[in-house]
Amino acid sequence: MDKKILIIEDDVILRETLSDYLVKEEFTVVTASNGEEGINLAKKERPNLILLDIILPKKDGFEVIKDLKRDEKTEKISIVLLTNLESLNDIEKALNLGATTYLIKSDYSLEEVVKKIKDILNQ
Amino acid sequence: MKLNIINDFDLRKQAEELGVSIWQTPSFLFIVLGAIVICIMTAVFFITRYYNSPEILVISESMIVGFIFTIGNLIIRDIENMARTNKMKSEFVSIASHELKNPLSEISWEIDLLFSKYAETLNKKQSEIVRNIEKSNDKMIRLVNDFLEVARIDQNRMILNRKNINILKIIKEEISGNKILAKLNQVKIELIKETDNCNVIADERKIKLVIDNLLNNAVKYNLSKEGKVEISLKRKNDYLVVSVKDNGIGIPINQQKCIFEKFFRSNNATRYQTQGTGLGLYIAKNIIEQSGGKLWFESKENEGSTFCFSLPFN
Repeated sequence: MDKKILIIEDDVILRETLSDYLVKEEFTVVTASNGEEGINLAKKERPNLILLDIILPKKDGFEVIKDLKRDEKTEKISIVLLTNLESLNDIEKALNLGATTYLIKSDYSLEEVVKKIKDILNQ
Repeated sequence: MKLNIINDFDLRKQAEELGVSIWQTPSFLFIVLGAIVICIMTAVFFITRYYNSPEILVISESMIVGFIFTIGNLIIRDIENMARTNKMKSEFVSIASHELKNPLSEISWEIDLLFSKYAETLNKKQSEIVRNIEKSNDKMIRLVNDFLEVARIDQNRMILNRKNINILKIIKEEISGNKILAKLNQVKIELIKETDNCNVIADERKIKLVIDNLLNNAVKYNLSKEGKVEISLKRKNDYLVVSVKDNGIGIPINQQKCIFEKFFRSNNATRYQTQGTGLGLYIAKNIIEQSGGKLWFESKENEGSTFCFSLPFN
């Protein structure tokens, strides 16, 4: 499909498994393990879509969304929240800040994650 | 005499439910308060009769008020402590369950990756072993989700994402999802639709949970070679009523009143099926009630059960 995905997730196994799978699905993948690195990479690499964890070191998911939406270079990038449903308030807050949608990690198989990504990128 | 009071005020049951000794229950403290007040008022009566002075009366009445405030305060602090402990336990379950979700997601995705992209490197036996790991992991994820749901219910924090949903569609999906289990248990599932309007406003994910639980129970707890499950949808006034009827092992009469309790599993259920947390119906009942409906059942041991729930139409 030749699209670029940025994964911002501090859990190394989730990040690498997701990355591995997406690469096999022929996406270009860049990864970050904290919010600050994520923001820098988003501005440098200009991905088509960002998979963003809410709980992150350095800068959390909310700050990442705020930062990216403020910058005209990155404000149009679709952002998919990765969550384990810590709290509905958090998800609502993130969606209000501009996240496109969310998915619950423990409920989605990798195949379903890719389907969701493709649905969003095709819109 | 003491035993009678304990039974009447159900002190023993209250002590068990709150996790304290009988002497610490609020009901017992109220009894002590009442007894002290009676004693003081009796004493006041006799003292004023003997002394015949208004000052004594005022002093005595002040003492009564003092005692009521003191013991009342003790009771309130007692209850506050219990509520606080209860809240902490519930929060602990929440935090622990959330912590577990990440490692479970990790296992889930690693297996996904293995099967979808590296399957050629596995032989048949290895594949089978990994499939079993996947199944166990799925069980754990369901358990953790159940614990979280129960903790949220206990803290009155249930999340309901209300939208217009089609119950018939959900039921059909659940029937298809339970097809393999039904075949294993030699159970036939039949769907009877007696109304055309199957749309309600509710949380789709949660209602799916409820239907999955009822259907799963109906199929699981079935021993006959001609197992049959009938799911029907009908309209009753302003409510959509869904019934799940089976000809399974049923629920013994003396266990029926506990069926919706947390962790309760009736004797015949545990005898035939070691798997099951006893949380499904507790969660299901809470979901339906918070969605504006009711969940009820009829059952006869060795003949079968019919579980019904209602949801208000839009």
